[in-house]
Amino acid sequence: MLAPLLSGRTRNFVALGLVSLGLMSAPAFAAPTSYPLTLDNCGVEVTFDKAPERAVALGQNSAEIMLLLGLEDRMVGTAFWPSKVLPELAEANEKVKLLTVESPSLEAILAERPDFVAAQLPILLGPDSKVAKREDLSNLDIGNYLSPGVCGTRQDTGDAYGSRESLWNMDLLYQEIDELSQIFDVADRGQEVIAQFKAREAALRARVAGSDTDPSFVFWFSSPSPQDDAYLGGKNGASGFIADLLGGHNAITTEAEWPTVSWEGIVATNPTVIVIASLDRDRWELDKPEAKRAFLTSDPVVSQLEAVKQGHIAVMDGQAMNPTIRTIYGAEQLADQLEAFGLIK
Amino acid sequence: MSFISRKFGGQAGLGLLALLSLLLLALAIGAGVGTGELPIPLDTTYFAITNRLGWTAVPLDRIHESVIWDYRLSRALVAACCGAGLALCGAILQSLLRNPLAEPYVLGVSAGASTGAVSIIVLGLGAGTVTLSAGAFAGSLAAFLFVVLLASGARGGADRTILAGVAASQLFNALTSYIVSTSANAQQARDVMFWLLGSFGGVRWPEFQLVLVMVILGFAICLYYARALDAFAFGDDAASSLGISVSRVRVILFAVTAMMTATIVSMVGSIGFVGLVVPHAARFIVGPLHMRLLPACVAVGAIFMVLADIVSRVILPQQVLPIGVVTALIGVPFFSVILYRAKRAA
Repeated sequence: MLAPLLSGRTRNFVALGLVSLGLMSAPAFAAPTSYPLTLDNCGVEVTFDKAPERAVALGQNSAEIMLLLGLEDRMVGTAFWPSKVLPELAEANEKVKLLTVESPSLEAILAERPDFVAAQLPILLGPDSKVAKREDLSNLDIGNYLSPGVCGTRQDTGDAYGSRESLWNMDLLYQEIDELSQIFDVADRGQEVIAQFKAREAALRARVAGSDTDPSFVFWFSSPSPQDDAYLGGKNGASGFIADLLGGHNAITTEAEWPTVSWEGIVATNPTVIVIASLDRDRWELDKPEAKRAFLTSDPVVSQLEAVKQGHIAVMDGQAMNPTIRTIYGAEQLADQLEAFGLIK
Repeated sequence: MSFISRKFGGQAGLGLLALLSLLLLALAIGAGVGTGELPIPLDTTYFAITNRLGWTAVPLDRIHESVIWDYRLSRALVAACCGAGLALCGAILQSLLRNPLAEPYVLGVSAGASTGAVSIIVLGLGAGTVTLSAGAFAGSLAAFLFVVLLASGARGGADRTILAGVAASQLFNALTSYIVSTSANAQQARDVMFWLLGSFGGVRWPEFQLVLVMVILGFAICLYYARALDAFAFGDDAASSLGISVSRVRVILFAVTAMMTATIVSMVGSIGFVGLVVPHAARFIVGPLHMRLLPACVAVGAIFMVLADIVSRVILPQQVLPIGVVTALIGVPFFSVILYRAKRAA
């Protein structure tokens, strides 16, 4: 990363430069796609003879990217939604049939007569998937695309699964947005979306550039019960990226993507801020942010943490802790609260 | 006295029963092929099959034809083979171990499969070149070898084998938990669970070919030893006094059931209940002699599994219920009736 090497003022300047670059390139002009378009998608060569007209998105992130690209009129179904749709996409999403919030069956997908299927995870599309294999779709001339962020489900490829050796960033997401926009021949819109995200990333860096507080964060996703070890966001995952973006660091230093840590261990890290995830699912009582806050403030040990005594408890959308487009939204949500805490000047 | 010999008696009755079960199996598979979320007209269903068999060349919607042939038919046939195989393994193990609670996973095969699968999903063994199924298969056999070594080290015997199986299951389940809790993230844990629950969703024609060969081979070998299995019911000593090489037969049949179970588990996950209960149901229909019992297990297991798979596909709109849930949910009431009637008949 460049930022830590530069002094505060230079960093500020660079960040501002990035923002203006981002703004300048907002009305982007990218070449229209010339079909047939061939892409290397996770080691498989995929070819598109024309822009898809009946697309199915498997996985919330794939669906939200397609909605951001304004493709709702060319989508015939979505499935696998761990949380609610982004509010600004809700109206567009209304137009698209929801197959199921869980894993759909292959027949339910084929019943929509798709000409394209994009998937977020290998369990939804891949050789070991119980939903669909690429050949199932290719044999019917249905184009298919797997998120480049999860190409390898194996640990050694280091992306999105298992532990990660270096900090996650948005590059693979930008690649996905770029490739999907090419497939649908909306490259202009794709570049615009990417530029906007990059500008937001830069704006966040610029916002924290003035403060040298280097806050440490604990990102608490959820726990089955207060007695159980907590599921936290790991150092190099999306949570670590958010911490870095906001000029701080993850208090948890294990490289596991989702470490489970005891409260004793959490107390030992003495974080500046505790980020509690707000989850739409209702699996455990502690999925709710109010329940998390109640535990933090009432537990005899945890309530003595400096972060809790100072009220430095921030709420963030849990989906942001998964490496998705929502990560940026979560970082912004968090930045506002840090400002209120006086941790960002 | 079993139900069928009271009603019909003799060879004619058995022949009739065999015919009836074939008919029922064909009907069940037909229902499996005809049922699904995509509404497909009956004539399309028929022509999709005859087209692919090369008997007709009716122009059909490609998606319809593919759903019928590549998805529903292969799936129903795999379900039939798996049901037959699991029931067969259950019957063999119940006899060999002289334990009515024995089932295909008693030798640790299912626990071994999950360790193998987790090693692939979580640890990334094989770096993407080994499929999940291959990993699960290797895990199953490792668990089985562990049981064989442990049981033979403890000088054989039915009880020792069961204990060795319990030990293997515990060991491999612990290994799975260890790997999951030290290395997995939430998504992977979810994947592992999803995979272990069992589903016919991933199967296509290549799986059918493999499982068909395994089940036919297994069935033939078991039938060959049918009389020996009858003798086992009276204990190892009685069997050896009848001139049966007890330890050889036992090892061969253990190996055969382990191979069959490992193939099935690595293909569709662990599906409970069928292997435990179908042999008891079959015993009630045809009696305890293995020459009749084994074919009956194959027939009942196949029909039951095809029907259970239909239920798993239609009960929740747009998604699939894990097959193990269905086999237990519809199997338990069905089995209760049999138990109740068996008690009255006795």
